[in-house]
Amino acid sequence: MSAVRCIDVCKTYRQGDEDIHALDHVSIEIQNGGFVCLSAPSGGGKTTLLNAIGGLDVPDSGEIYIDEQRIDNLSKGELAALRLSKIGFVFQAFNLIPVLSARENVEFVMQVQGVDADKRRSLAMSILDEVGLAGMEERRPAEMSGGQQQRVAVARAIVSRPALVLADEPTANLDSKTSDELMELFTELNMNHGTTFVIATHDRRVMSYAKRLIKMLDGRIVDDIAQS
Amino acid sequence: MRILIKLAWRNLFRNHRRTLIMLSAITVGVWAMIFMTAMTQGMVTQMIHDGISVIPGHAQARNPQYGDDPTVNNLLPVPDSEIAGRLEGGGFSSWTTRLSVPAVISSERESRGVTLLGIDPEREADFTFVEIDTIDGRYLESVSDEGVLVGAKLLETLKTKVGNRIVLMSQTPDNDIADRGFRIVGVFSAKVELWEETWVLTGKETLQTMLGVPDQVTQAIVFGDNYRQVDAVSDSLRKAFDDTVSVQRWTELDRYLGTMLEVMDGFTLVWVVVIFLALSFGLVNTLVMAVFERVREIGLMLALGMRPSSILGQIVIESMLLLAIGLALGNVLAWLSVKAFPDGIDISIVAKGMEMMGASSILMLDLRLQDVVLANSVVLILGFLASLSPAWRASRYDPIEAIHKVD
Amino acid sequence: MEITLRLAWRNLWRQPRRTWLTIGAMVFSNVLLVFMISLQFSVYDLMINNSLRAFSGHMQVQAPGYIDDGSMRQTVAEIVPLASELRSDFPDVDIAARATGFVLASSEQRSYGIAVYGVEPAFEPGASSIPGLVTDGRFVESGDEVIIGVVLARNLRVSVGDELTMLGSGRDGSFAAAVLTIVGIFDSGIPDLDRSIAEIPLATFQDVFYMRGSGHHIAINAPSIDAVADYQQRIGAVLPDDLELHDWTALQPGLKQAITADIGSSFFAYAILVILVAFSVLNTGLMSVLERTREFGILMALGIAPGRLGRLVLLETALMGVIGILLGAFLGGLLTGYFGATGFVMPGMEEMAVRFNLPARLYPGISVATLFAGPIVVFLVSILATLYPAFRLNRLQPVEAMRAA
Repeated sequence: MSAVRCIDVCKTYRQGDEDIHALDHVSIEIQNGGFVCLSAPSGGGKTTLLNAIGGLDVPDSGEIYIDEQRIDNLSKGELAALRLSKIGFVFQAFNLIPVLSARENVEFVMQVQGVDADKRRSLAMSILDEVGLAGMEERRPAEMSGGQQQRVAVARAIVSRPALVLADEPTANLDSKTSDELMELFTELNMNHGTTFVIATHDRRVMSYAKRLIKMLDGRIVDDIAQS
Repeated sequence: MRILIKLAWRNLFRNHRRTLIMLSAITVGVWAMIFMTAMTQGMVTQMIHDGISVIPGHAQARNPQYGDDPTVNNLLPVPDSEIAGRLEGGGFSSWTTRLSVPAVISSERESRGVTLLGIDPEREADFTFVEIDTIDGRYLESVSDEGVLVGAKLLETLKTKVGNRIVLMSQTPDNDIADRGFRIVGVFSAKVELWEETWVLTGKETLQTMLGVPDQVTQAIVFGDNYRQVDAVSDSLRKAFDDTVSVQRWTELDRYLGTMLEVMDGFTLVWVVVIFLALSFGLVNTLVMAVFERVREIGLMLALGMRPSSILGQIVIESMLLLAIGLALGNVLAWLSVKAFPDGIDISIVAKGMEMMGASSILMLDLRLQDVVLANSVVLILGFLASLSPAWRASRYDPIEAIHKVD
Repeated sequence: MEITLRLAWRNLWRQPRRTWLTIGAMVFSNVLLVFMISLQFSVYDLMINNSLRAFSGHMQVQAPGYIDDGSMRQTVAEIVPLASELRSDFPDVDIAARATGFVLASSEQRSYGIAVYGVEPAFEPGASSIPGLVTDGRFVESGDEVIIGVVLARNLRVSVGDELTMLGSGRDGSFAAAVLTIVGIFDSGIPDLDRSIAEIPLATFQDVFYMRGSGHHIAINAPSIDAVADYQQRIGAVLPDDLELHDWTALQPGLKQAITADIGSSFFAYAILVILVAFSVLNTGLMSVLERTREFGILMALGIAPGRLGRLVLLETALMGVIGILLGAFLGGLLTGYFGATGFVMPGMEEMAVRFNLPARLYPGISVATLFAGPIVVFLVSILATLYPAFRLNRLQPVEAMRAA
């Protein structure tokens, strides 16, 4: 079964007088348990593709399936519910709610999912432990390093055990050591829980962790390499 | 300075949504300040106008004993030609004399207590009753007219009609009861129903004859040009009578109306200040936000060598521009809303209540320049003071810290 | 719920100055509203009570049409037996029969046109405050006795023990006259009453004015003003069909309308105040949403629906509103309580007080309603003003929002 399937997806932006083909007839399929890097230079279409897969952006044409469920024709509300239950997101740094502690940031999403308070708390504590933040649960984002903040974001993304985690330049604001640690965390989660990862990046170091590397240029897939 | 104004102007519209909201708040506030003031002033002006045109005039001359013992025993001689001459040349816009006594009026079926006024119809025609009424039947024709005018409400109460006879009883100086029959020749209506129940008018000489007080009157009444300035009028009146009379201004004769005049002027100021205070929270908030968003920018300007006083000036100018636009819009809106009711606002649904306050049921709006000036100056002066604090803080930033601030 | 609540609470204090300024606007209006509304409604109660207690009563039984014409001939037949029957049916209500006429009252030196009332000496003290306000002499008991107001006594130059002659018309239009002895002088503080009325025993009145056992109205005072509607219904049900029962709003339309007019104009002022607070709240709400665009974008990307974020923004305003209610009611209550203890005086109030049957010093009273009515309206309007920034979140596109600075 495939975690993600895109069939002939197109997306065009207008910038000034020019049409930008951010996605130009893109078709890919990612199996469950995949660990995929999307790499492209700036403006190559990787973020657009990631957003389309995550239901944040609706393609102009083509079909997108998550867990064999077609999503490009869903409403905003249905997409939000889908993201909440099936997809975890990790963005660039500074994506936590600044006034909530690490634990509360993780719990907030679960609360929206309707998890009851006791379960929420124990899940949050164990997931923070799993991402290596034991003892830091009550810190606010401003009291943590960039790497720690990203770990909270990862914890928040995976706490509800989504089948698919989408990460957009997760290491953009991290130094190389912290980047490595984050990627090792991703690899671990991929192996232990079978979570599918799709990571958009132009960091070679990140690409080296991927089992599969998809290269894009001008909205087209130009290379699709399996790595060991 | 010009560059500061330009900066302030552009900054004002950088966050146009916030500026528009604040502008709406100022506009509504200023509109309310002026419109509400026009309503209350209109009400008071009219109360006073109606009130003093009916009875007191701007000032009255009476027998000095009348105040303690308001009866026909303490009357005033009708002004002789010398006094009349001084009254003519006294700078009054009009004057008259009246004989006014309490009386009981009886029709065939009903009796009521009223105030019977003997008037000089030609002189009265200049002001008082002609202004408050429309008359069915006819008006009085001369000082010796033997007919009476009654109010519409009284006519109804007495269950009689124009052309019928009624009997009036009152007291003579010897405390005999003088009574005589009169024919109702006309009916007047007044803005306030109470007046229609209270006043009965006849010829002055007719009444003098009935009471046996020839050539005597209760009071001489004068009008000046402006009811707010009656000192000169009352002095002039006293001089006309060679200081033999006691002269009272309308503010003393009707203390309720006199107080209303003062209270309402005070009320206007309180109202304007209260509205401004309610606005000031939003104004200071807007400025605090505007400064907060631009901390880095202000730091840069300071680092580039702009003086702190220029930063202060820039924020204050920004605030004053905002207030000035709001004031302009508020003033225009208030002016338009006042113009929208050229015939006043009909509040006859509470006519009886307005009557209790002494006001009529058509609320005329009175937009006075001095009230507009007051509202505008309060907003500008207090607005200036309110913007000093955020502006001062902005000018005190440390440039290095400010530039590196992240939010 | 708790995390959302905590989130909203902490969000408020990201910009403490802005939050306090917004709450400040609410508190300012709330304090004013609490004080003004308390004062206003205390004044209305006093106006109603003083005016009605003085004479007219809460309700009156009258002949049809009497309320409009007030004619001597529109009588209630056998009024004394009717009043006593009502008295036994409704023992907790004050009931007194009266008759009215207009006369020329003459002393040795002076004459004035006045209203004379025939009253039941035994029951009038329950129905009106005048018997209790006789400061000189005593109330009438029987026979040819009369009490008059203090101003009338001065104008007529009479005192207790003097004689007063009354001339008027009887019920049938014939000449009516009486010579009465002044047994008391009352001082109600209400100029109209003190200047222009006299009271004599009802039996005497019926003789002098040929009333043949009838009178003009029965004044009725319910135990409280709030119970008037109830009693009006119950008493109305037992009255003979040819009589009418009017409540005070019909008897003194001016009183009711003066209150209505005052409520109208003051509520216009309050509305302006509340609207200005609303603008303040709107501005704050909009700013707080705009500066968190990125944050909201991320939350939406995580699958949190815009509606939930909108509710968060509304919750933030609600928290400010609750602080506004509490502080406003507390400070407003304190201010009102202070003036409730020391009394409130305004320049010019003495003259106005006389006009509306009020004392010159007012003691505003606090009730739950006057304490919270204004603040709760401010709260609701604040929520209303936040709907716009809250709904704006629906237009937010997560992808663009995340790109915002």
